[in-house]
Amino acid sequence: MGHNLQFTFEAAWKVLLAGLVLGAGLPLLFALGVRSLAWGAGGDAETHAAGSAGPKAQPIGTVIGWLLFAVVLAGIALGITFIVASGLGKQLSFEHVFPTIVNKH
Amino acid sequence: MILALVIVTALAFDFTNGFHDTANAMATTIATKALKPRAAVALSGVLNLVGAFLSVQVALTVTNAVVKIQNSDGTPKGSLTAGGGEALLLIILAGLVGGIIWNLLTWLLGLPSSSSHALFGGLIGATVAGLGWAGVKWNGDGSKLDGVVGKVLLPAVVSPVIAGVVAAVGTWVIFKIVAGVAVRYTRQGFKWGQIGSASLVSLAHGTNDAQKTMGVITLALIASGHWADTKSIPLWVKVACAVAIALGTYLGGWRIIRTLGKGLVDIAPAQGMAAQSASAAVILASSHLGFALSTTHVATGSVLGSGVGRPAGEVRWRVAGRMVLAWLITLPAAGLVGAAMWWVGDLIGGLAGALVVFLILVASATAMWRRSRRVPVGEHNVNDDWNPAVAGAAVPERVAVTAAN
Repeated sequence: MGHNLQFTFEAAWKVLLAGLVLGAGLPLLFALGVRSLAWGAGGDAETHAAGSAGPKAQPIGTVIGWLLFAVVLAGIALGITFIVASGLGKQLSFEHVFPTIVNKH
Repeated sequence: MILALVIVTALAFDFTNGFHDTANAMATTIATKALKPRAAVALSGVLNLVGAFLSVQVALTVTNAVVKIQNSDGTPKGSLTAGGGEALLLIILAGLVGGIIWNLLTWLLGLPSSSSHALFGGLIGATVAGLGWAGVKWNGDGSKLDGVVGKVLLPAVVSPVIAGVVAAVGTWVIFKIVAGVAVRYTRQGFKWGQIGSASLVSLAHGTNDAQKTMGVITLALIASGHWADTKSIPLWVKVACAVAIALGTYLGGWRIIRTLGKGLVDIAPAQGMAAQSASAAVILASSHLGFALSTTHVATGSVLGSGVGRPAGEVRWRVAGRMVLAWLITLPAAGLVGAAMWWVGDLIGGLAGALVVFLILVASATAMWRRSRRVPVGEHNVNDDWNPAVAGAAVPERVAVTAAN
């Protein structure tokens, strides 16, 4: 029981870390993307006082927004690559995200 | 003949695994209407199919984590293969029946319980009945995460919490960021985020869960002398399992989708995206680290977390409590059914015993299906407001429905 608890704890914090980086980080970028697009579109895309025309459109926001989406897409592509790779019995090294030696049985 | 029963039963389990777990990927997507119910289960089914084919890795040692019926290279224990492997086949058959019956019962009650726990529980029960307590690997040998404790129990406690924390953080951050953006605008954006993240969960589910059944069937084939290679899985097994889990997913476990999508939290698109992203990340990171977990536990933890993380969000803790209770009893309950099935099969003996076990499965499955028809839940009413009348046995607290954001 003791060693299993220890192994669980060791694995758990890594999963939590990876989860926060990918599982909360990518949505964060995505939300920033949505926000940027809204800023880029201006007008009714943002909340503004009733009767006024709303904020002016900011084309740079549109660009930033799509850049952010591209980053998110890259992250998803990484995830799919990971699934495929492990399906083929290979391993992706994520050392720059969380350093770990992986031995899959 | 017994082998044929085992294969049919294993595919049936794979099928229940599919529809039991559709909710994990698609419940929030359906609840927020990012996808129409039919489109959502179709997408999830296709991705499960693709995922199942991607899992080329040999999952032959799947039972090794919890029971001692296989050698470490995947071949069955010699003592169990005498006489066409009947002893081993009966254990597998009884275990699978235990898993299916529990899966169907929890589906009837609309509870998202873990299919892996049901499978392992059934196998553990049948093994205890067949080989005694020593036949079960409770704790591993201390060199790695192993045994019932390390592969099943501890991850079940830890993984929903991790997923919940990640989803809560994600939800909270998203709501902070998009404050000030028009609701109509965010809804459109997060719709795509949800579809993407839910797809990832479906794919991961196909790779993880279908291969468990593939492993079990191949084990049965080896035990009965119909297959010898422990390094690969017969193509037809792979195809059959992939199709079974995909069809199950496409059928859609509407009762469970309803509980997870509408029962726990009144979910908004941003929450759905946060929850699915958290699920996908936690599932992928865990399988990378050899941390065995149940997709169901992760998905439920994520949905709860997204309710906690949303400013002024509400969680129906009583529904959550029912779920946790179901999780706790899944393993022992499926184990009891598995053990009972083994005793029945062993008492009658031989082919007749296996047939009786199979008929018990068919009879109870039919009974539960008929019972489900009395209060059907389908794509037509899966998104209705959460109230006791439709939710079967569920008695949620009356909570004001917060306006969808």
